[in-house]
Amino acid sequence: MTKILRIIVLSAALAAGLAAAPAAGGPSNEDCLACHSDKDLKSSAGKALFIDEAKFKGAIHGQADIGCVDCHADLKAVKDFPHTEKIKPVDCAFCHAEADAAIRKSVHGLPHPENAGITVSCKDCHGTHEIRPKNDADSSVYSINIPDTCERCHLDRVQTKRGGEFIQRYNQSIHYKVLTKSGLSTSATCATCHGSHDVKRVEDPDGRVARKNIIRTCGLCHAGIQRNYLEGVHGKDYVKGSADVPVCTDCHSEHAIQGPEDLNSVIYSTRVAAVCSRCHDDERLARQYGFLTSRLKSYASSYHGTASKFGETRVANCASCHGFHDIRVSADPKSPINPANMSKTCGKCHPGAGANFAKGKVHVVEAKAESKGSYVAKVLYIIIIASMISVFLIFIAADLYRRAKKRVRS
Amino acid sequence: MTDSEIIRDDEVFLRMNLAERLQHILLILSMGTLMLTGMPLIFSEFKIFKSIFAFGSAFYVRGILHRIAAVVLIVNIVFHVFYTIFTKRGRANFKEIAPKFKDIKDAWSLFWHNVGITRFLHNRGVGKTFFARHPALLFEKEPEFGRYNFIEKFEYWAVAWGSFVMILSGFFMWKVELSLKLFPLWVHDIFVIVHGYEAMLAFLAVIIWHMYNVHLNPEVFPMSKIWLNGKISGHELRTLHPLEYRKILEGRKAALQSSGDADTPAK
Repeated sequence: MTKILRIIVLSAALAAGLAAAPAAGGPSNEDCLACHSDKDLKSSAGKALFIDEAKFKGAIHGQADIGCVDCHADLKAVKDFPHTEKIKPVDCAFCHAEADAAIRKSVHGLPHPENAGITVSCKDCHGTHEIRPKNDADSSVYSINIPDTCERCHLDRVQTKRGGEFIQRYNQSIHYKVLTKSGLSTSATCATCHGSHDVKRVEDPDGRVARKNIIRTCGLCHAGIQRNYLEGVHGKDYVKGSADVPVCTDCHSEHAIQGPEDLNSVIYSTRVAAVCSRCHDDERLARQYGFLTSRLKSYASSYHGTASKFGETRVANCASCHGFHDIRVSADPKSPINPANMSKTCGKCHPGAGANFAKGKVHVVEAKAESKGSYVAKVLYIIIIASMISVFLIFIAADLYRRAKKRVRS
Repeated sequence: MTDSEIIRDDEVFLRMNLAERLQHILLILSMGTLMLTGMPLIFSEFKIFKSIFAFGSAFYVRGILHRIAAVVLIVNIVFHVFYTIFTKRGRANFKEIAPKFKDIKDAWSLFWHNVGITRFLHNRGVGKTFFARHPALLFEKEPEFGRYNFIEKFEYWAVAWGSFVMILSGFFMWKVELSLKLFPLWVHDIFVIVHGYEAMLAFLAVIIWHMYNVHLNPEVFPMSKIWLNGKISGHELRTLHPLEYRKILEGRKAALQSSGDADTPAK
């Protein structure tokens, strides 16, 4: 039903356009197909010039009864056939002015210093005679087909700054998996995050994947997470324009996004500590924001951290206790590591965890001030071990010395 | 009859009976397993442990093995305690292994005897009058040991103390929820620290002290076989445990005398 409506609207728009255009008429589709229905028709350069009429009729422009010369406007005036080989490129902007304006401001429309000589036109993504609307499953810009369409150029021929391998990672992502394997057509495709006609470079502050906009872009689908994020410490500083706080992609990666249960995910349970410590072990950030470094070290030396290093996923990682999207400072009563909430937080894994869980510092290096008991025990043991081993070795040395002397004498 | 006829050098004495050897073997097995499965936690950066525990549930299996070995150790200790209390030999052994002031003296004099610095000085004519007044300081003779020398006693009590510490701290690490019901977190943290360091102490003590005394020591190299066959010869008894040797000798002499003028002394 909507399809029919669209066609009517399109046709009406076209009729209006045609009325405004000078010199209506020209050769009919039949005139064109008289030659172009020949499967073997080729240009002098060997390019096939065959037009599949059935497919054209099934495509959106065919359905809307748009004639060949409506697009190939320079052929409208041609009286003698066959026409010259060189014809003007089709100007889609004649009807699609809005898309054209967007393209001109996008990375595809602006000059490419790195890829000189490569120009992108509508047909590179949309095709030509067989263009279908984006909600048609056969369309090259149908969500499920978009990755293939973009990767046709960007895997290999047109390298973006981070290369084809970086693009390829999308094909291992959860977004791609649910898009293609489960056919969830609303999953994120290239166009969902980067935009379609308005694709911009990541450095471009107006781009959807610009740092400044990424939260909103991901929030298009992950609205609840966006809200959580904005309530947490990271989100609050993000709103203030901090360039230090992580945005979605800093933790989840860009193209290779995976669910946390996926073994290859950058936020897989055993990798979380590495992700957080990228910033939280950074001296400059620690000074600026007043947090302690060596949290990774102290976590790693705990049972949780050690077990995690060995691939054990049943132990706590940073996120298990601190939360993830809405991480809060411990003083925040809503923080899971607020002393009042510790028994609940620890109780997720340790049933019956009581108030004692909060009586002591969690993952601090055994330093004098931080945790006296552990520090004293550690120092005592080091002294005991060192002196005991020294005594052993001295005793053994004395014993061997006497034996050696005896042997020399006898 | 001379002493060497009453206790011949090739006579065989029982130093460790089957129950004692079994206790020792169980201790080796449980302690070995505990060390192998516990060490990865302390030396988690070592490649060897990372490659051993590379497969999926390896870490989980490690934990289970550690707990099984811990239970074996506890059972072994209970066995040993019952054995010590309820058998005559156990009680006698315990009396022998109880620490005495003599042990400290023995350690001290054996060390200075081995070093021999005072004898060296004396031979060079240094401090003649001093050494004439205190001849003991020359440490001319090795100290004489009974059934258990100070080294063996030390090892026994080290194992006893170590097991107590490890079982106590390990129990609360196993039952972390119970531990935190009873103690604040900082106390539990001490259990964790103590468990790790006490383990290292035990490991080093076994590797250095025990290995030297029962394996590398030239006297027994490559290995003392007592832990396998439980046997010690009359010669070894006389040289290594002279006090026990003399005790047996005196006992036999008294028996000989009490049997009066009998021509053939009963053995």
